[in-house]
Amino acid sequence: MNSLFAWARRRRDSDAEWREEIESHLALREEWNAAHGVEPEDARNLARRQFGNTLATLEEVRAVHINPWIDGVLQDAKYALRGFRKTPSFSIIAIATIAIGIGASTAIFSVVDPLLFRSLPYAQDEQLVSVGYFGPVDDQEFNVVSSYFDWQRAHAPFQALTAMRPSSPCDLMVGETPLRLTCYSAAGNLLGTLGVTPILGSNFTAEDDLPRAPTVVLISYELWRSTFGSDPKVIGRKVSLDEEWVRIIGVLPKDFIMPERGQVDILRPARLDASLPRNANSSSFLRTFARLRSGVSIEQARGLLRPYFDESTRLDVPASLRSEVRMVIRSLRDRQIHDVRLQSWTLMGAAIALLLLACTNVANLLLARASARRNELAMRAAIGASRGRLIRQAFTESLILGALGGAAGCAAAWGLLHVLLRLAPPGTLGLDQARIDVRVLVFALIATLLAALLFGMAPAAERVRSGALASWHTAGATRTLFRKILVAGQVAISLILLTGASLLLRSLWELQNRALGFQTEHVVTASFTPGNRRYQSVAAQIELFRQVEESMRRIPGSGSFALSDTIPPRGGYTRPYSNLRIAGRPPLAENGGLVLCRWVTPGYFQTMGIPIVAGRAFTEEERAAGESPVILSAALAHRIFGDENPVSRLIELDGNDHWSQIVGVTADATNSGLTEPPGPEYYRLRMRTAPFLPRSTVAVFRTPVDPATFNHWIRRQFAALDPALPVTVQSLDEHLQELRSLPRFMASLVAAFAGIGTLLAAVGLFGVLSFLVSQRTQEIGVRMAVGATPARIALQVQRQAGFWVVAGLIGGLAGSLALTRTMRGLLYGISPVDFVSFAAAVAVLVLVATLATYAPSHRAARIDPAAALRSE
Amino acid sequence: MEISLDTLPLDDYPSELGLDMKRTDQLQGALEMVILKTLQSGAKHGFDIALHVQTVSDGLLRVEEGSLYPALHRMERQKLIDGEWRVTPNGRRARYYALTDEGRERLAQAELSWTTVSQGIQRLLNFA
Repeated sequence: MNSLFAWARRRRDSDAEWREEIESHLALREEWNAAHGVEPEDARNLARRQFGNTLATLEEVRAVHINPWIDGVLQDAKYALRGFRKTPSFSIIAIATIAIGIGASTAIFSVVDPLLFRSLPYAQDEQLVSVGYFGPVDDQEFNVVSSYFDWQRAHAPFQALTAMRPSSPCDLMVGETPLRLTCYSAAGNLLGTLGVTPILGSNFTAEDDLPRAPTVVLISYELWRSTFGSDPKVIGRKVSLDEEWVRIIGVLPKDFIMPERGQVDILRPARLDASLPRNANSSSFLRTFARLRSGVSIEQARGLLRPYFDESTRLDVPASLRSEVRMVIRSLRDRQIHDVRLQSWTLMGAAIALLLLACTNVANLLLARASARRNELAMRAAIGASRGRLIRQAFTESLILGALGGAAGCAAAWGLLHVLLRLAPPGTLGLDQARIDVRVLVFALIATLLAALLFGMAPAAERVRSGALASWHTAGATRTLFRKILVAGQVAISLILLTGASLLLRSLWELQNRALGFQTEHVVTASFTPGNRRYQSVAAQIELFRQVEESMRRIPGSGSFALSDTIPPRGGYTRPYSNLRIAGRPPLAENGGLVLCRWVTPGYFQTMGIPIVAGRAFTEEERAAGESPVILSAALAHRIFGDENPVSRLIELDGNDHWSQIVGVTADATNSGLTEPPGPEYYRLRMRTAPFLPRSTVAVFRTPVDPATFNHWIRRQFAALDPALPVTVQSLDEHLQELRSLPRFMASLVAAFAGIGTLLAAVGLFGVLSFLVSQRTQEIGVRMAVGATPARIALQVQRQAGFWVVAGLIGGLAGSLALTRTMRGLLYGISPVDFVSFAAAVAVLVLVATLATYAPSHRAARIDPAAALRSE
Repeated sequence: MEISLDTLPLDDYPSELGLDMKRTDQLQGALEMVILKTLQSGAKHGFDIALHVQTVSDGLLRVEEGSLYPALHRMERQKLIDGEWRVTPNGRRARYYALTDEGRERLAQAELSWTTVSQGIQRLLNFA
């Protein structure tokens, strides 16, 4: 900035100096005139006349000193702006088109940047890796405590190995009200390994992480701000967490996220106990992360960990599962964006396609404008404007258009990001962390420059060709060829967008309408997890479950009612298939993967609308009698028994010689997520007394009562039982909608981009055809004069449009086939080359192209031959 | 003589057309040579240069005083001459220009090529 002022000052000073020099000349001349006999009063005037125009001279001197190139650019800019003002509709359309392209791609970039490109909020994040077993237990790598302790000895690959438990809900008492938060337990060295230090207070010490150490916690920046009013005296304060008094020792940095990208409210030491028996630790689930030694690649680390891995696999993984388990070491970023990478790239791809379409359209507009000005350009070329000069002028115009469009695009991006935030459920693609910041603005700037180059290239290339006077009359053919190719390109790109969108929409439709195997209407769920302290004993939990059952039945209109530990479409507990034993049968095949299991009350099947296909459901009498019957899903029954009837066979589930009778078989219900087919599953009866029941519990109601009213009643009943017990009430439909929100978000966004893109392509086609018709008015007039019918003329225009549209369609289909394959992971129930989706995309594009062709071809047909021939 | 269109510094736009011959390279070259030659005998200010050209050429060549200054400034930027504020014998402030080494070199070249061209033209005229 300072240098700018200095430049301005220098310029003012030299201006004064130049003036002074001219003044001095006039004075000397006046003196000379006077000395040579001119009357003193005339001497001055004569001097002025002899000198000529002083202002013009000053201007020329100035021109000598100003860098002629910059001066030329300024002149170009002035000229371009004047041109834009003269054609406001052209300028507005061009700027708006660029703004759409830049706005969409900038907004999407701001969303995917933290996921794909920005460095993670840890020191030297490229050294961080996720380590673990990968097997049919989870869709991400995991670990167990005993193996974690073994791998601590692997010093060759890792500087440090750290661990955390999956997140769990926890209840912080703030005054009188319980606050349901997200807690994580992690090894004491988690922050150290990640290279993060608390912004206030201190990190866990080694003593804090010892098995029976008193609980200390680190709280998130957000919790510190919202609940503790950013009070620095919070360090050392004791708060009640899950009914235990814990001491706050530190505050996490503002941008801290757990290594699996989880948002944390409270971090506790995991206090893992190496002294426990191996089989206790080997069934204790963990996620492990490590910092590689510098210079060790991920590939090398795999080799170096291999002996430790094989050893712990032998000790910790059941023989039946060993062949299905493998080692995973991958970069922390890969781990973090595991499930959103494809979504991110798809959205970015769609946004870039839209930007390309916008560029092509603006290029087309500029070409149309250039042909309207070609006389002027040919004139300039003829009187000596160099090619370089004309090209510079063309690029200056497109840069200015780009700058204006880019600025509008940034505003559009800001708006679009807010719309996205509104549309998407919280947490989708990390949208709540998307910001339009310097990085994003730099992206917008680069995108704008590239776009300006791209759409500026067309008219610049044109000007080189029209750089000779000869082209005055002959440039037409090549010019329109270029524009037709642009249109074909637009058709191709928008077809790719449309195919992507229609695949996503059809897949979403499949997802919404697939048979789930259970009924969602009128089902309301209330989930709760008894706190760790108050309900520590199994007896206290069982008592709570009994009370919940009784009080829920008292709710008016509660209809059918059941308790379960989890509900579809997700599963609950899993066990290896090979652990099951059937009386009178040889052991089941190994490597059979996992089987899902739920503990349910007798009303469960009726409430969820899962039909019993053989035998019967559980009864209250069985419960009272303390029997332990089992019901199999059809998939599991078929797998074990084939076509035999499994009812009244005996099955052993826990490897404890306790045999249970199979009393029925249910139809399959979705249990592995909305996108997967139902897996094998069995149901156990929730007993009144049991040695073990999962803590997290869902009460399910089938009720005709309005959900909002019902919600209120449920909460009242729970509050009467235990006011400190947080409950989440939701209708099953709502729950499913939430699960479908990401596919819905993706489909609607890509569809919106495809819609805008197709519109742009249609405008492009319309523009080129209109231009062609107006350019060939005379030719058409002649043809009509010699007998061509209007219908024939219209057909001819349409045929020409058809040729380029079909060329574009072929290119677009090839592109779609190549690109939609990469979307496989986003599609449910349909193939990436789904015929219906492709056909729909082509149909939409053909329809739009027909509409865009209609007006120009009919204008051609209505040309009056007499008027056309007279017009030259 | 062939005047290439591309060498014409026509930066104006069609609406502002009008060929201004005093700005062509050829005439600029002549003016430049005249100025360099004038300064060969010592540093002079702009008015002095104009006067000198007029006097020495017996009034055959007239430099329009105003058009002298853009040329002087251009040549100064090209480091052919060096400008400096001094006081005239009559006690007025004026900007004096002196030849640089580069300027002297340029003058020698220009004189040589001018002589060659004018001799050639002279012979042509004599022959016809």
